[in-house]
This record gives sequence, C-alpha cells and structure tokens, in this order.
Amino acid sequence: MAKFNETIHQTVRLQIMAALVTLGAEEEVDFTYLRDLLEVTDGNLGAHLRKLEESGYIKINKEFVERKPRTFISASKEGRKIFNEHVAALESILKSK
Amino acid sequence: MNISPSEAEEALQAIQSMMNKTKKAISNSGAYNFLIVWGAVWLVGFLANHFFDAKTIGYTWMVLDILGGAISVILGIRMSRYVRSPSGRASGKRIAWFWLILFLYCFSMICVVSPVDGNQMAMIIILFVMIGWIAMGLLLSVASVWWGLGITALSLIGYYVLPEFFSLWMAFLGGGGMIFLGFYIRKKW
Repeated sequence: MAKFNETIHQTVRLQIMAALVTLGAEEEVDFTYLRDLLEVTDGNLGAHLRKLEESGYIKINKEFVERKPRTFISASKEGRKIFNEHVAALESILKSK
Repeated sequence: MNISPSEAEEALQAIQSMMNKTKKAISNSGAYNFLIVWGAVWLVGFLANHFFDAKTIGYTWMVLDILGGAISVILGIRMSRYVRSPSGRASGKRIAWFWLILFLYCFSMICVVSPVDGNQMAMIIILFVMIGWIAMGLLLSVASVWWGLGITALSLIGYYVLPEFFSLWMAFLGGGGMIFLGFYIRKKW
C-alpha cells in the first residue's frame, strides 16, 4: 500500500533518498561526492543524514582509508521500501487530480 | 500532512531530476578525465609523428603511453572511491584485464599485418582503442559510445581523405577534440 512519508518528504532528504536509491543495492557513496551532487553544505547534509539514519532509512559507514577518515552512505533495504512507497503515494495524489 | 496534487507533481519532478543527475554523474564523472588525459597523449604523440624522426616518435609514444596508462590507473582507483561496491571492485579488475587483452590483440594484429607506413600503424591502434572505448561505453555509459563512433569516423576521414596530413589531423581533431569534449562535459556537469 502506498504510504506518504513525512521524514522523507523534506526537500533535501527527498533528494538524498532519490540519489541513494539510484545506486545499486550493494553500492555506497562517499560523503563529499553526495554533498557536491546535492549542492549542500557539510553541516546541512550531515544533519539530514542523521535524521535518515535515526529512522533506519540509510546506513552510514565510517572508516579510515589511507589514514584519512571517510564516510560512506547507502540506502537501507527499509529505506528503499519506504522511498518506493512514498513515490507511489505521490503518484496516487497526482492521479487523483 | 496533506499535500496538493501540484506539490506532489513538484516532488516527483525533483525525484526524477535527482535520479537523472545521479546516473549522469556516476557514468560521466570519470569519463571526462580519461578523455582529457588521452586527448593530451594523442595531441603530443601525433604532433611528434608529424615533426620528428622514427626513433624519436617511438620513444615519445612509449613515454606517453606509460604516462597515460599510469594516470588512467590512478584515476580509475580514485573514481572507485566515490561510489563503491563489492561487485564494482570485481568489474574494475575485469575492465583492467579487458584492456590488457585488447592491447595484446592489437600488438598481434600489427605483427601479422606488418603495416606499410606510420599512418596505417596509427589507424590500426586507433581502431583497437575505439573498439575498447565503445565496449566500455556499452557497459558503463551509453552516451560515450557516440564519442567513440565520432572519433572513429574522424580518424577514418583523415586516413583516407588527407593521408599526408593524417598526423596533424589526429593531433588537433582527434587529440584536441577529446580534450575539448572532456572539458565541455566537466563544465556541463
């Protein structure tokens, strides 16, 4: 059933989820790459990522690559499901016009 | 939360736009760097073909190919750091093997055919490189197939129509064109 999701519907979070679900199921994206793609600041992206992580829609993987801290982000299985349901909900609203 | 159909439409458009941007960014993000690097290699190499003697040409191409190959490997490793996956790492290794095997086939072809002049030798190498480029395009980014076909067509035109200026043609239209295209894609993205 199509469910509208208020957490995902916020503009930046909607864009984050759209970018992440476009990647393959096993793929994760670097924080700076996602920041440049979305054209947002570090702080802004970080805040929205925390919100999405708390909801269980994304996975954040922090590790050291060549002694430098790196953050990788991917959509969780739950996140993909919720996002698809949200899109379906938007489509059903549009059809009811 | 109640939203209107027009708000829903805007949200769907934003989603579609970001999905397209992501697909494009992933498929193009590395391609333009390779275009600039190999465009520079072609520009310098083909200028050497036109102006220097056979021995100098040989050394120039050897240095340029090693340099271009090394930079490409570094770029490939850097690219895989932005979007990574276990399957992506396996594909990267297969792509490296593909280029190595293609290079060996090209070398074998040159040995079998024994090109009569520098133009023929260059054209055989260009055709093999473009086969590789188009194969990569079909695998990773369909848009780059068109660049490969365009460069192949330009090369063939130069080879058959202007054989005496083939090296200059390839330096400026082939190499220069690849550099221009690389910067154009970079700016556009």
